Amino acid sequence: MTAQPTFTEQPLLEVRDFQVELITDAGIIRAVDSVSFSIHRGETVTIIGESGSGKSTTAMGILRLLPEDLAVLSGTVLIDGVDITADPKAIDKVRGKTLALIPQDPMTALSPVHSIGSQLFEAIRIAGAASAKDKGALQARAVRLLEQVHIPTPEKQLKKYPHQLSGGMLQRVLIAIALASEPQLLVADEPTSALDVTVQGGILDLLLELQEQRGIGILMITHDLGVARLISDRIHVMKDGSFVESGEVQQIVDHPATDYTRALLAAVPVLGPWDETPAAAPGRHAANATGSSATSDPALTQTGAKP
Amino acid sequence: MTNYILKRLGQGLLTVFLTVSTVFILIRMAPGDPAVSYAGPLASNEQLAAVREQFGLDRPVLEQYWIFLQQLFTGNLGQSYSFQAPAMQVVAERMPYTLTLATAAILLTAVVAIPLGVWMSRRPDTGKELGVNVLTIAGQSMPDFWTGIMLLTGFAVLVPIFPASGFATWGGLVLPTITIAILQIALISRMVRREMTNNLAAPFLTVARSRGVRSSALTWRYAMGNSAIPVFTALGTRFAAMLNGVVVVEVVFAWPGVGSLIVRALETRDYPLIQATVLLTALLAVGVQLLIDLAYPLLDPRVRLGKAATA
Repeated sequence: MTAQPTFTEQPLLEVRDFQVELITDAGIIRAVDSVSFSIHRGETVTIIGESGSGKSTTAMGILRLLPEDLAVLSGTVLIDGVDITADPKAIDKVRGKTLALIPQDPMTALSPVHSIGSQLFEAIRIAGAASAKDKGALQARAVRLLEQVHIPTPEKQLKKYPHQLSGGMLQRVLIAIALASEPQLLVADEPTSALDVTVQGGILDLLLELQEQRGIGILMITHDLGVARLISDRIHVMKDGSFVESGEVQQIVDHPATDYTRALLAAVPVLGPWDETPAAAPGRHAANATGSSATSDPALTQTGAKP
Repeated sequence: MTNYILKRLGQGLLTVFLTVSTVFILIRMAPGDPAVSYAGPLASNEQLAAVREQFGLDRPVLEQYWIFLQQLFTGNLGQSYSFQAPAMQVVAERMPYTLTLATAAILLTAVVAIPLGVWMSRRPDTGKELGVNVLTIAGQSMPDFWTGIMLLTGFAVLVPIFPASGFATWGGLVLPTITIAILQIALISRMVRREMTNNLAAPFLTVARSRGVRSSALTWRYAMGNSAIPVFTALGTRFAAMLNGVVVVEVVFAWPGVGSLIVRALETRDYPLIQATVLLTALLAVGVQLLIDLAYPLLDPRVRLGKAATA
């Protein structure tokens, strides 16, 4: 995707033997089992897997956003050299600074009773980019951030509340909020799965554009191989808490090594001629009907696997 | 907005009208005779008849109701039988006492219940939280006459810190306020805890935490900011209910408010006084409720600005 990273430098994110154990009523569940990977500047690494495979738990564990009393983390997670598993307080040094999260559902990710502007201003203050007293600097910075995520008439949007914006616009606002601190590493937890298909492509394009401009490292969590193939440098396929397959995008897509990966590949809908032959499997029409609407963005459909 | 206010105002006035009309009928259906209360048990039939004639109680109920309606629109509900003064005036003199007590009780409730609920929400399932939770259930279960008498025994009789009755000094406000507030604190703090627990688990809170928002801001700005609307509504509704007279507590502490007044009015079958009390308290309660509704848009931008989101 971007220029070949130089692996001599320290990775932005280095994860070694990372484990997450969740304490549930049914006992202790190892949701993430000894995963290791790293992300360098300008790289996008994707963890792909079906629901319940542990991919979101991995991301939330790295951000230390799992309930402290219910999730036990072990192994090593170095974010820009800061070990956040050893010291629970260390995460405060990277949150809102080098590290930022793009959430799954933008519609519920902002406080409904606070304006876009107040939530963006707060992020700018935390980043230390402008002080609370300097209203002019705050406003100017907020407007520039919204411009960078291509939001029209930013001054007007600042006064609005989340319920007045669409999902796609809110995701752009959330990306702007994430950018307030000039982060090095973005964790994008299914950033497009709650969005209308017509705006999914736009959000992915924006992430790629920002990565190209700033050399941000991105950890992408998705179940959608179309998304993964479009933006990733490397892919880790996750199943039952561990990686079953890892490698370059092209290699995984062209030569999947496991049945699980092949199943994920087969789940990507294909745009093609309408298959009306009676030999088609039952339910095939329904699958095609939903499948074709889910891939109306050409940027996504080109990645469809062709069995 | 003006239309909305006018509509709510109309609804409120209709509520008040139906309330006073219902009370007018009910007190005349209830057993007891104002003339007997007024003239005394030894009065002769002639004396009773004279009293009834004087009060207009010998006329058909419909005619009495017609007179009542005329009085309603002039704002003069007639003479109180027992006070020998305009009923509205008697009630109006008592109103400030009830207002004072209700205001003090709701302020104490807010000041204690909100931090307490927040405190509980931040340590769910701990021993301390469980302890406080049990206390709130106890507070909710104690009847106010019992709480009142216990407080009286404790802090006015055994350890005489506060006066036992009346409102001669500000100290007299303390025990009745606490008596009312105990139940309200129990109810409101549990509500605050429930709302806060939901909002502390909301996705927007996790996302805010991910961008380094400090814990105190997460609790107060985010979680409390989103819990404020239902909590404010509950406090306002309880305040409006208290204005109808905190009857039992006012009687226990001989508080000179409308609550103790209506008990006396009912005992003596003082129809004009009952009607005046109901009219004034209903007007106040409806007025407070209207203010709560009008404050809603200030607290919630979704109400203020309406739904506007489209693709």
